[in-house]
Amino acid sequence: MRDKHVVIDVGDGAAIPDPEDKGLFTAWRISFFGTLGIIAYLLIFRPDPYLDIIKFLPDGIVVTFQVTFASIGLALVLGLIAGLGRISKNTFFNLVASTYIEVIRGIPLLVQLFYIYFALGHLVRVPDMVAAIVAMGFCYGAYMGEVFRAGILSIDDGQTEASLSLGFNRSQTMRYVILPQAWRIILPPVGNEFIALLKDTSLVSIIAVSDILRRGREFASESFLYFETYTMIALIYLVITLILSKILSNVEHRLSHYERR
Amino acid sequence: MFKRIVLTLAMLFCVGSSAMAEKTIIFAVDATWPPMEFVNSDKQVVGYSIDYMTAAAKAAGFTAVFKNVAWDGIFAGLAAGKYDAVCSSVSITEKRQKVMDFSTPYFKVRQALIVAKDSHVKSLADLKGQKVGGQIGTTGYFAIKAAEGVEPKSYDEVGLAMEDLNVGRIAAVVCDDPVAANYAMDQYKDTLKIATVIETGEVEYYGVAVKKGNKEVLDLLNKGIESVSKTGYVQEMQHKWISQ
Repeated sequence: MRDKHVVIDVGDGAAIPDPEDKGLFTAWRISFFGTLGIIAYLLIFRPDPYLDIIKFLPDGIVVTFQVTFASIGLALVLGLIAGLGRISKNTFFNLVASTYIEVIRGIPLLVQLFYIYFALGHLVRVPDMVAAIVAMGFCYGAYMGEVFRAGILSIDDGQTEASLSLGFNRSQTMRYVILPQAWRIILPPVGNEFIALLKDTSLVSIIAVSDILRRGREFASESFLYFETYTMIALIYLVITLILSKILSNVEHRLSHYERR
Repeated sequence: MFKRIVLTLAMLFCVGSSAMAEKTIIFAVDATWPPMEFVNSDKQVVGYSIDYMTAAAKAAGFTAVFKNVAWDGIFAGLAAGKYDAVCSSVSITEKRQKVMDFSTPYFKVRQALIVAKDSHVKSLADLKGQKVGGQIGTTGYFAIKAAEGVEPKSYDEVGLAMEDLNVGRIAAVVCDDPVAANYAMDQYKDTLKIATVIETGEVEYYGVAVKKGNKEVLDLLNKGIESVSKTGYVQEMQHKWISQ
């Protein structure tokens, strides 16, 4: 059994807390409970305006989560297809997948959002939420594709050879032997991408989707309480991403069972 | 040697200009509001308000500098002292007067409702359950929010709302009437029309916003605006920018 621990490094994700860290004061705990403490303090001792701000945001939080989950779903499907395409021996499939990844990764997400929303709006009448989800999903699908490709390639060739010699065909090998193993390696960077995507959904406020940020901006533009509103928004994003990174860290810890000694 | 000459000239210029002691007022403008203030094809910020303030500057003896700033956050920048005044079709409202001071009004507007050319909508009340767009933080958007049963949708720029109305994602747009006229009779004259001019209790007036208590700038602005308003130049600008 090989024992090299494959780590796929993907930038721009949130820092995943180290599950082995047993100290009382970890960076995660300080940030998480610190953030909660500040929010509680503001709500109790400065209910005007902070309570009004937080009351204004819930539907925005729902929209942010809707966009995040729908886009990550789309991105995972596209990523898997693109990743398989990148390592496929079928020239056509390979070329399509590689071109998709090259093109999408070369265009800023903000520009893609504008493009899908306003430019394609002339051709097809897509609702704003759909445009946001398609743009985010296609963008992150390209990055996911590279994560999937790296994860699949990290599985030793011996596995494929053994599987083929046992009579599995190529797709069975992929389904029953390679992907279940690759999944453990892929999951942490996918989790990172998930958190990065959640943060990037703040960009959809530019195409008038009423997410947390847009709700906050609406509040600020009417009350002129810019400092207070954006403080609250930053704190809410922070609480959400910290919770998610903790969940991911626990999942990752379980999955790394075989790598631990 | 050349450098030294340039430096000397620059210094002379500085001394010379400070000797004249003309106050410079930096105006923040969100140049996405045609025909009041917008960027023309030469990338210059132009429009009715720009001409008006330039004339006011000449009359009151200050130098006007215009700085293109995004609307969302334009008042935060004013409070932070990044510029002296906001001259960006700001309607004078009670809520705004609590946090900033306004000059003498220089323009009168009402809110207009823009719909698709084939629509039969006559007022905001006809749009129950439908999406109506406006620019974030404008009196037009506040009017939509105040209307019962209408789903308000805020945009960063009014032009984006017009485009969404044009492709049919929303049912109507509410904004200041000169801007509405510009869009419905010029850029989108084949697809959009003005359904009605909304009668919201009182008419609105544009004023130049300054930081609360900035009397020095406010006095200069009022002096300039008052002297321009008495001249025939107002009609001239009206003709040039609005009624074409």
